[in-house]
Amino acid sequence: MTFDRKSFLYRFLRHPSGLVGIIIILTTIAMAVLAGWVYPDGPWTIAGTPRQWPGVNQAYPLGTDSLGRDLAAGVLHGARVSLAVGGAAALFSIIIGTLFGGVSGYYGGWVDDVLMRITDAMQTIPSFLSAIAIVGIVGASLPTIVLAIAIVSWPMIARLVRAEFLRLRTYDFVQSCRIIGMSDFRIIFGQILPNCLAPIIVASSVLVATAIIVEASLSFLGLGDPNQMSWGTILGNGRSALRSAWYITAVPASALVLTVLALNLIGDALNDVLNPRLKER
Amino acid sequence: MKNTKHFLHRRTFLAGLAAGVALPSVLGISGGKAFAQAATPVAGGTVTTVGWPGPTYLNAAITTAGPESFLSPKFFDGLCGYDFGMIPKPALAVSWETSEDGLKTTFKLRDGVKWHDGQPFTAKDVAFTFMQVIKVHHGRGRSLFADLQTVETPDDLTAVFVFGRPAPAMMKALDGRESPILPAHIYEGTNILENPANTKPIGTGAYKLTSYERGANVVMEKNPEYWDTGKPYLDQLIIQYVQDPATRSAMFESGQCDIVYLNFLPPLDILRLAKEPGFEMDQRGYETSASSQQMDFNLEREHFKDKRVRQAIAHALDLNWINENIWHGFGKPGASPLHHEQKEFYTTEGVPSYPFDFKKAEALLDEAGYPRGANGVRFEMMIDPTPYGDESLTVGEYMREQLRQIGITAKLRSEDYAVFIKRCWTERDFDVCIYTAAMGADPTIGVQRFYWSKNIKKGVAFSNGSTYSNPEVDALLEASQVELDPVKRKEQFVKFQQLVMADLPTLPICETTRATIAHKKVKDYTVDALGGALGNMANCWVEA
Repeated sequence: MTFDRKSFLYRFLRHPSGLVGIIIILTTIAMAVLAGWVYPDGPWTIAGTPRQWPGVNQAYPLGTDSLGRDLAAGVLHGARVSLAVGGAAALFSIIIGTLFGGVSGYYGGWVDDVLMRITDAMQTIPSFLSAIAIVGIVGASLPTIVLAIAIVSWPMIARLVRAEFLRLRTYDFVQSCRIIGMSDFRIIFGQILPNCLAPIIVASSVLVATAIIVEASLSFLGLGDPNQMSWGTILGNGRSALRSAWYITAVPASALVLTVLALNLIGDALNDVLNPRLKER
Repeated sequence: MKNTKHFLHRRTFLAGLAAGVALPSVLGISGGKAFAQAATPVAGGTVTTVGWPGPTYLNAAITTAGPESFLSPKFFDGLCGYDFGMIPKPALAVSWETSEDGLKTTFKLRDGVKWHDGQPFTAKDVAFTFMQVIKVHHGRGRSLFADLQTVETPDDLTAVFVFGRPAPAMMKALDGRESPILPAHIYEGTNILENPANTKPIGTGAYKLTSYERGANVVMEKNPEYWDTGKPYLDQLIIQYVQDPATRSAMFESGQCDIVYLNFLPPLDILRLAKEPGFEMDQRGYETSASSQQMDFNLEREHFKDKRVRQAIAHALDLNWINENIWHGFGKPGASPLHHEQKEFYTTEGVPSYPFDFKKAEALLDEAGYPRGANGVRFEMMIDPTPYGDESLTVGEYMREQLRQIGITAKLRSEDYAVFIKRCWTERDFDVCIYTAAMGADPTIGVQRFYWSKNIKKGVAFSNGSTYSNPEVDALLEASQVELDPVKRKEQFVKFQQLVMADLPTLPICETTRATIAHKKVKDYTVDALGGALGNMANCWVEA
């Protein structure tokens, strides 16, 4: 990609919220990547006296939690879990949502009816409650949580993709593909899908943010994977000490707020940059 | 309306002052010790407390659940109360006598006691309650009174319990929480579990029900006809049900509630508030509800068949640390299968202990034939903590970390409560499980179930989950069930503690203690072994 004034990257980085968002996200990713080097023993090691406030002991810059585990180690290792869950859940829901939406929008008719009624049915169930139910029944482990989040968030993508397909399938380039006898599979994935990637990408940044929040909420309620330290796990642990050691809750909460904010900023920026009508701005 | 209420309130207050003059003579009969140094009680006023969850029934004769255990003793009396140290004192029974062979206990009942609906209380009620209700429907009573053959009623004020075998533990289970006496004239001939009186209680107790809003609150008012003349002092007792512990803390601190029992506030908040002026904490009054946190090893699993592995794991855990940091000091490090509140029988003398020592743990594991592998790991195991409250899970997290350091890779599993119970006590598909359970007022009531081989019962939660079977232990437990000589019974339990701690099928983690925290204006809420939570709150009063 050339770095001229028209390039996507240039315009994205020129966008103020895009720049801020990408810096925060890169920092979070760096935290996740470096966690293993900085804290090789993992986030569960009982390092020192419980409930040491941040700054009291230089060895624990963010303090220690109720069991004496280093909060900095928790936040760094937590970044891994939160980002991984967010990314994986978003990816899964995009795959499911795109398949449903694409097939539904392209074929129309009874296929559309059946698939969209299924989507409607999914959308009528409160998503967080059904995530709780799924995790409660199947058992709390990282794959289950990813799956639960994906299951409750794909309908949004399906609706979006279907609308795009309904619009694009009437276009001339699709008609000509049909005339030359291209298979439906190639038209859907080779022709129409690349043309509706922009809204999917924008939606997916928000989807990652939502997935991170849902995972944190589940962990906060004690439904997270007990063998994975995510930000939500630290939040949940800090809850009982909220009055006497609020920093245990505040530290992972800030990490969550910043990451989710960054993802939303990136979503906004992408929306502006990828929108052809705003290209000349 | 408001005015009338205010006026009435004032009048009762004045009446209370008048009663205060006559009080000392009344106090001489019961609870006098507690008042000796305290101010003179004042009648009147309301006390509000919070709890969670809400009750299903208001009657603890047909359930052993926590909410009912709190409410029932206020509406119903038992035959006895208990002074500190679990010494029986008169309640509905004024005196009792056990025959030498231990097969007959005769209770002389209090004269002139009336049910809340005005009917007289008689020996018939006692016979009905034990034979038709406690023996049939009460979780613990079913086994405790299994050998109760009949209750004879030679006259209205005498009840004679006739046993097939002696049942010495029974004398600790006669209070209004464990064995509340129900009115025969309301329950007889009806479906006891579905009788409307279960939610509209008619008892002999210190308080009558004013209103009950399911899941929200229970309001009680003074029973003016109460047999303990002059009591209760309070006009009204309100229990509000609030799910979130932090909200309960805020309510307590802001004065929306006056007293909180049973560690219903987060422990750190209890400790913080206890230091502030205006509040006081009392850890007494929970003698019948002693509970311990412990961990069952699944002895059907290859690793845990070897007791050296079990002992190694015990050595890897610093129980003092757990007590300080997870239970926040509300307990004592586990040292015996019994609870330290079971003072008569509890001992640590000659009982094997497992002090925190990584080296010892590693040596035991090497000896047992589980050396560290190439990757430093000896074996892998799964920990199942109770998915209820925080402490089991936190102990699990701590344990996983400790075990990692002696070369055991442990993982935690968190599941739905029902699935957890099924996994551990029906399917037996677990390595170790951590839970907190009631140890009972007597070891026969609460402790025996975990170690008696005849209590290896698939499908019964909190039975002998480790599948521990030791004929010597079985013999001791069975002998202590019927032993009448307190000295011999103590010897049996001492031997039991020594044997079980050597075999270690179940590791005692923490003998928990409970606390009541109250605004200082609330007085005399804990005057005996049952405290305010499991007692009748008849002595409680508020400073005007």
